[in-house]
Amino acid sequence: MALTAGPIAIWTLLIVGMGAFLFTAIGLLVFKDVYERIQFTYPAATIGVAAIVAAVVIQKSISQAGIKAILIGLILLWANGALSHATARAARVRRLGDWKPSPQEKIEIVDGN
Amino acid sequence: MNPWLIAAAFLLLCLVAPFLICARGDAISRLVGLEAGSAMVTMILLLLAIGFNRDPFTDLALALALLSFGGGLVFARFLQRWL
Repeated sequence: MALTAGPIAIWTLLIVGMGAFLFTAIGLLVFKDVYERIQFTYPAATIGVAAIVAAVVIQKSISQAGIKAILIGLILLWANGALSHATARAARVRRLGDWKPSPQEKIEIVDGN
Repeated sequence: MNPWLIAAAFLLLCLVAPFLICARGDAISRLVGLEAGSAMVTMILLLLAIGFNRDPFTDLALALALLSFGGGLVFARFLQRWL
């Protein structure tokens, strides 16, 4: 069976997506700090999702499934950033009582808020 | 087995990591595991829908992507304020 450009591109994108998800899985297991774990959700939610969605769009073109796949990709891309921010903020509040920097941390506050 | 189902099976294996974090970590780490796991399950549902050539089932992945975002935000707010 001769492989044409379409299947090769799909395989390549799926392998890239699987690699990104594997990277995230390993990072989540290896690193114990919650902030590092939050960072390691990004390869899956950015590269992994984009690669898999691109593979779906190549397979289905701009059909119903292709458009839904693009929507899913956009939602996951946007949601991961918002959720990471909310989770990191919750972690900081739980650890320090407030998300704003304390004087002991010696963090320069630029805008005064 | 087509490439979509192989990828879905592989992502299912990767789901072990978020599962272990959800089982063993502290509250915030469990939330991180839940968020990572939600993204993985969303992609698994999408890959299964394409792999079995059932295009309408991509709605499941779309619904999960939307609902997991709301759920994650609620959990984060809840952990920040009350737990």
